[in-house]
Amino acid sequence: MQSINQLYALSKRNVILRYKHSLIGFLWGFIKPMLYLFIFIIIFSAQFSSVNHYVLYATSGILFWFYFSNIVSQGVQSIVQAAGIIKSVQVEPMLFPLAEVFTELFNLILALLIYFIIMPWFGLQFSFYMLWLIPTLILFSIFSFSTAMLLSALNVYFRDVSILWNTIQPAIFYLTPIAYTEDLIPQKFALVIKLNPIYYFIKLFRYPLYSSSSPDSYLFGICTCISLGSLIISYFLFQRLKNQFITSI
Amino acid sequence: MSSILELNQVNVRYRTNHAGIHSIKDFVTTFKNPFQTIPILNDISFQLERGQSLGILGRNGSGKSTLLRTIAGIIKPSSGTIHVEGNIAPILALGAGLELELTGYENIHLLLSLYGRKVTKTAIEEIAAFSELDDTTLRQATKCYSSGMLARLTFSISFSHDCAIYIIDEVLAVGDMGFQTKCLNKIYELKNRGKTIIFVSHFPDEVVKICDQAILLEKGVLIHQGLSADICQHYKALF
Repeated sequence: MQSINQLYALSKRNVILRYKHSLIGFLWGFIKPMLYLFIFIIIFSAQFSSVNHYVLYATSGILFWFYFSNIVSQGVQSIVQAAGIIKSVQVEPMLFPLAEVFTELFNLILALLIYFIIMPWFGLQFSFYMLWLIPTLILFSIFSFSTAMLLSALNVYFRDVSILWNTIQPAIFYLTPIAYTEDLIPQKFALVIKLNPIYYFIKLFRYPLYSSSSPDSYLFGICTCISLGSLIISYFLFQRLKNQFITSI
Repeated sequence: MSSILELNQVNVRYRTNHAGIHSIKDFVTTFKNPFQTIPILNDISFQLERGQSLGILGRNGSGKSTLLRTIAGIIKPSSGTIHVEGNIAPILALGAGLELELTGYENIHLLLSLYGRKVTKTAIEEIAAFSELDDTTLRQATKCYSSGMLARLTFSISFSHDCAIYIIDEVLAVGDMGFQTKCLNKIYELKNRGKTIIFVSHFPDEVVKICDQAILLEKGVLIHQGLSADICQHYKALF
């Protein structure tokens, strides 16, 4: 119970801090993906005129990519930045990356509201299949949390982790079929794409939000395994690493 | 009388990481482990009776703050046992846990929640009243505060809740005279109500006034313990 209050307080702090001195504040949650979309349209639209509802296709991927990448980018720093709190209050360190997930979830929900208002013009169809968004989002949040939790713990000992993450982040973005379609990938790179866990989640999000259908149960199974597997691994590594946090931050 | 706090051969070791270009060179050339374990506290044992107060003295870097954090349960000892009766108020150190970008009020909300307390309107009003910071100041970001104002805020938040043990880590030095007197009065009042105070200060006279018992740390070893007046003499003899 106390942890829930602490989690709420930390998430609220993040929400306040995120856009403290920004003019348009939370609109950035939607405007940032839209700016990316705009770039894609300019660069790729000739290429992708064959893709049905390209704007809808790309947006349904970009929103969730930013959800993931923001959680990890903020999360990886979360424990190091909480040094003052960790040194003076007894608080479970896992709450810091977890609070980043809830902060971003709050952002994502606002962005999704705008998505549902605008996207019908670009071919979004409302249906009950959209309810699949909820379990998909839960699985993806678990995976994002696990990644952030593991990297935040490693970052305490080696600050190289956050630098490395910022460097490879664009590579992961372009390795995921977010702005382009899967059939464009040359056969010899297919394995690289398939090793990328985010690929499966982005694909899963497109069932309720792009093609308005229920997801492939095999794909759903893969995503469940990825999120639970990553959660278990990160959790145990985090438990091993957390005892020495205070001496290293 | 039962003891409220008992430490038995407590050892605390830090693992430091000399990550950097030199550690990579050492690791590659001599396979030197970049992690080293250094002892901070060695075999600390003492007990404190209920209703007594403890002063902790020692040079800078002798392990006082680490000892406080170990007592508060923030650092787990590498070996040894700690037994505490009752709840401990959060450590009072300068700016502890404050988020400098947030306003005074937002910090009160955040810290009360982190300490696991109910955030009520009366609690916030009491904290604001005790700190003597006015409404406009509390609406400002705490990064604009002076160190004295930060001390007022942390002191007021930490003392807003009823606990058995209060830990105070060198905060009185920065407040102005009015606030220092107020804090000292608050500490005496808590003492009279039978609360335990654990107090770190570099002013031996303050320690004698507040504490019955004292310990003297030197390089992580407890070298003297006893009545605070005697220990202060030992402390003064160090320099």
